[in-house]
Amino acid sequence: MIATLRVVLQLAFRNLLAARLKTFIVGGIIFFGSLIVTVGGSLMDSVVTGMSRSIIGTLAGDIQVYSAKSKEDLALFGSMGGADADLAQIEEYETIKKTIEGVPNVAQIVPMGLSNALVTSGNTIDLVLEKLRNAVRKQLAGDHSPTIAADIESQKHHVQQIIHVLQAEQKTGEAVLDQRKVTQDDRDNAAALKRAGDPAFWAGFDRDELNALEFLENKIAPQTSDSDLLFMRYVGTDMDLYRKSFDRFHLVDGTTIPEGHRGFMFSKFFYEERLKLKTARRLDKIRTAILEKHEKIKDDPELQRMVRENQKETREVLLQLDAASSAKMATLLAQALAAPAAHTIAGADPALKTGTDNLGKLLGTFFATDDDNFLKRYDFFYAKLAPLLELYRIRVGDTLTIKAFAKTGYSRSVNLKVYGTFEFAGLDKSPLAGAVNLMDLVSFRDLYGFLTADSQKAVQDLKAAAGGRDIDRKSAEADLFGGGSGDQIVATAVSPAPEALQDTLPDLASATTKLHRDHSADRAYDLGELQRGVVLNAAVILNDHAKLDQTIADISAAAQRDHLDLKVVSWKDAAGLIGNLVLVFQVVLFVAVLVIFLVALVIINNALVMATLERVREIGTLRAVGAQRTFILGMLVIEAAVIGLVFGGLGAAAGSLIVLLLNATGIPATTDVLNFFFSGPALHPFVNVHYVLAAIGIVLLVSTLSSLYPAWLAMRISPRQAMGAEE
Amino acid sequence: MPAFFNFFWGVSRVDFLVAARNLIQHTRRTLFLGTAIAVVTALMVLLTGLSTGTSETMVRSATTLMSGHVNVGGFYKITEGTSAPVVTDYRKIVDLVKASVPEMEYATARGRGWAKLISDTGSIQVGVSGIDIEAEPGFQQVVEVVSGSVADLAKPDTLLIFENQAKKLDVKVGDALTFSAPTSHGINNTADVKVVAIARDLGLLSGFNVYIPAVSLRSLYRLNSDTTGAIMIHLKPEEVVRAPQVVARLRTDLEKAGYRVMDADPQPFFIKFDKVNREDWVGQKLDVTSWKDELAFFSWTLKAINGLAAILLTILLAIIVVGIMNTMWIAIRERTREIGTLRAIGMQREQVVRQFLLEALLLGALSTVIGAALGALAGQAINAARLPVPIAGQIFLLTSHFFISVHPSALLSAVGTITAITGLAALYPSLRAARLKPVNAMQHFG
Repeated sequence: MIATLRVVLQLAFRNLLAARLKTFIVGGIIFFGSLIVTVGGSLMDSVVTGMSRSIIGTLAGDIQVYSAKSKEDLALFGSMGGADADLAQIEEYETIKKTIEGVPNVAQIVPMGLSNALVTSGNTIDLVLEKLRNAVRKQLAGDHSPTIAADIESQKHHVQQIIHVLQAEQKTGEAVLDQRKVTQDDRDNAAALKRAGDPAFWAGFDRDELNALEFLENKIAPQTSDSDLLFMRYVGTDMDLYRKSFDRFHLVDGTTIPEGHRGFMFSKFFYEERLKLKTARRLDKIRTAILEKHEKIKDDPELQRMVRENQKETREVLLQLDAASSAKMATLLAQALAAPAAHTIAGADPALKTGTDNLGKLLGTFFATDDDNFLKRYDFFYAKLAPLLELYRIRVGDTLTIKAFAKTGYSRSVNLKVYGTFEFAGLDKSPLAGAVNLMDLVSFRDLYGFLTADSQKAVQDLKAAAGGRDIDRKSAEADLFGGGSGDQIVATAVSPAPEALQDTLPDLASATTKLHRDHSADRAYDLGELQRGVVLNAAVILNDHAKLDQTIADISAAAQRDHLDLKVVSWKDAAGLIGNLVLVFQVVLFVAVLVIFLVALVIINNALVMATLERVREIGTLRAVGAQRTFILGMLVIEAAVIGLVFGGLGAAAGSLIVLLLNATGIPATTDVLNFFFSGPALHPFVNVHYVLAAIGIVLLVSTLSSLYPAWLAMRISPRQAMGAEE
Repeated sequence: MPAFFNFFWGVSRVDFLVAARNLIQHTRRTLFLGTAIAVVTALMVLLTGLSTGTSETMVRSATTLMSGHVNVGGFYKITEGTSAPVVTDYRKIVDLVKASVPEMEYATARGRGWAKLISDTGSIQVGVSGIDIEAEPGFQQVVEVVSGSVADLAKPDTLLIFENQAKKLDVKVGDALTFSAPTSHGINNTADVKVVAIARDLGLLSGFNVYIPAVSLRSLYRLNSDTTGAIMIHLKPEEVVRAPQVVARLRTDLEKAGYRVMDADPQPFFIKFDKVNREDWVGQKLDVTSWKDELAFFSWTLKAINGLAAILLTILLAIIVVGIMNTMWIAIRERTREIGTLRAIGMQREQVVRQFLLEALLLGALSTVIGAALGALAGQAINAARLPVPIAGQIFLLTSHFFISVHPSALLSAVGTITAITGLAALYPSLRAARLKPVNAMQHFG
């Protein structure tokens, strides 16, 4: 038996060497087939691992639990419709916490809630009025220094400028607005504007600063509108626990929200992208493209567009400047642009004159950057111009008012202190990872419309005070927001937070104003309150990630035992659309490999049939000297298997080598979205042994299968027929 | 080129017969190779059909739901910092468009808005189109109503939504919903509307769009009756490909007529707010876009499909080329003596090459035609079966069911390309055969 096998093997190798062409062709196909499976499989697996690290390490944890009564599936990274999934609430977080913590392999459970608000990013006039109010307050407090007086004058000028602009805009508006639908609000607004534009108002400003300021804040500020609408997503969670459980969390500016305090943290990406002065943001982006991606402005239409936009969109910069800083900036720019030899800035238009009237033009010239002067102007902007500007609409330390529609349809708002910004390590450029901001869970419950112990008590107090008066919804909103309600985020100074918490339940409306000064923006809450209340979902972190499926089953069983109506899903299912992409990748690769090997099977089969037919005489001779049919069959099948093994092995080795090379060099994430899939700025793929083995297995199978038909043909050759054949 | 023509000029009926005889004689070989070529052709037809189908779904849903083939939209800025997607005094512009675009079939005007739609149990954020239903017969033809009636959209404060949205909001025809539209003043305008029609989903895009009468949209934003969101120009079917030229022409014509036109930017209008808000102008500016611009969001899915198809087809064709070369190689070895004899009795080298090439081309042509036919049939079957696309796939294909669109031109190009490649693969072996010297060839055994 062994001897036969040896003979068969020897024959097979001899034949392979003799028929080099056939060996080469069949081997070539097998080589590439095996290479494709190894490289494709390893790459895909690396991407899936990268994605899983991005998903698990930022929001999902290993497992997510949420109420089984939910109408939709949890989708942490967004679903098809764009809106967040409609989840039923988990009434008592404490009970599910107890149950889940008892399951083996569970390291940590983190309570969560995900929601969003469409908010406006705040107006320039709000910032100006805030500065004015601060200056006035200092003066009232007894500071009569000339700098304060000058500051007040300058800010007053700035407000007057804005009012002039508003009056001009009122006229433009008449062209599109339906005059028949002018409401009382419109008439009130027009009257307020007229009063603010009246020199008499400003002459009397110093006599009663605070009232004048209040008038401007209440009647004029709401009429301006240079803000953007921002779509903001946020997660309400237990800050400390979150930070400990999600290892990729990384503080950038400020501090994290202290334990037991209400507060808000911006994702650095969102903060930069949406709240930074657009001009500065574009400069940053151009700089990154030039320094990190080695692009040139003259070659890249995208960079050229950004340069053009910086030249055109100077309004945002101009609006921020009062008279004094306008003059200062104009002087700086004129000096820099007009005297290229003496200053660091080159390429200026000598026709530009010094003066404040042409600041817009100067800025336009300044931002007309090219590859030669960009970096110098970038440095100049941040060193000289930026100190005159407010680079962010909301600064760390400010108080942020978030108004959102609660589930009940009523608008709710909370004031939160912005404690800092954060990013996820390696994912700082990913829009997907950077879209979510953080707040404390108690504020989240307020915004979402859950009743906390705090607000329950407030509601009772108010009910008593208001005597249960009925007010319809429309006038309730009018009372609260001066004629309008909406999702809105406004940067205000820390101290004058007027309405810290407003529960706009209709029957409470008239009494709400009494509520405000009860709660300051960074008010502490009882730690037990965190545990007791409502959550939407919770992340479960495991000790051993490999036991994912087992633990999911264990948690489900435990939940059932304790009669908790919970859905327990893996990070992949919890991620939403992004998680499904894993499946798409796998299906596409699988189908492609299947098709490739089907076609390869036919072609290899064809080549082998022809090779066999060429050897009819040889096989006949073998049969004549006593070889059995099974011997012939075995010889041909083993020949094919040897080709499969040798070339498949070579292909897998070459594929592994390619993957290792890629691992060393890294595949750069060319677009920001890729950062998320690669879980960092570059993908360093690793060789997956499973795919190497699969590659060799598949080619072995294919080559053996494709040899069966030719071998069967050869088996039927009779010695006489073969010897007699003349060619 | 003339040499090439000369080369095939001499192909006679006999040559064809010989080639056909050779193919038939080696039935098994021909069948296997032919099958492989046919399978790859069929795959090519299916893959290009998938790509075309996706692109057609995109055009169809886009041009029904949110865009014309060419749009004249724009922004009106009351202040430097607030812009509304509004075109004022639009009837004049419609007249200008009529004069400037002879390719036009019809044009409609639709209002544009963005609002939260709230029911008793849920809410969704949607794009709101203000539609003048009586002026849009095309809309009624494409949108398939499941319950209610599209014609009812003529009444004020009515609403058409799609099945998925209805499910999410848990509403049926006759129910009342509330719109809440944020304005940059921080004020939310609201309007109550009644659902009069629920339509079948039209791909992914239908999830983001709802329709109310143009008058209702105007009153939601308190706009006067001279305003609209965009003029959507539908081109005659054969002129759709000329959309980019129409866009360019309209831009110059509008500028000549004294309108201010925004710089070309291939983005949907709702992306442009940010940019427009920061530019220092007030009043009206127009923007001319094509349907592709309004769908720039999704162009990457087409790129991804085409990229994947190209990679797969390249690999498959490489395998086919190897297979063909192998077969030719063996055929030539088998017929070396025949070739020697033919050469000895005066056959030219060219004729030898021609003979072998012809054989490969004949095999290629036959198999590709069969493959293409099979591919087209498979495509029809897939369409008829209404195979559902898994959720994750929908983001790429923009449709809930697989849609394969096979055009005759795609069939021709698949047949042509693969036959040509077959011929090219056979070229080298044929040239080798022609180089054999008659004497050597005749001595050859085996």
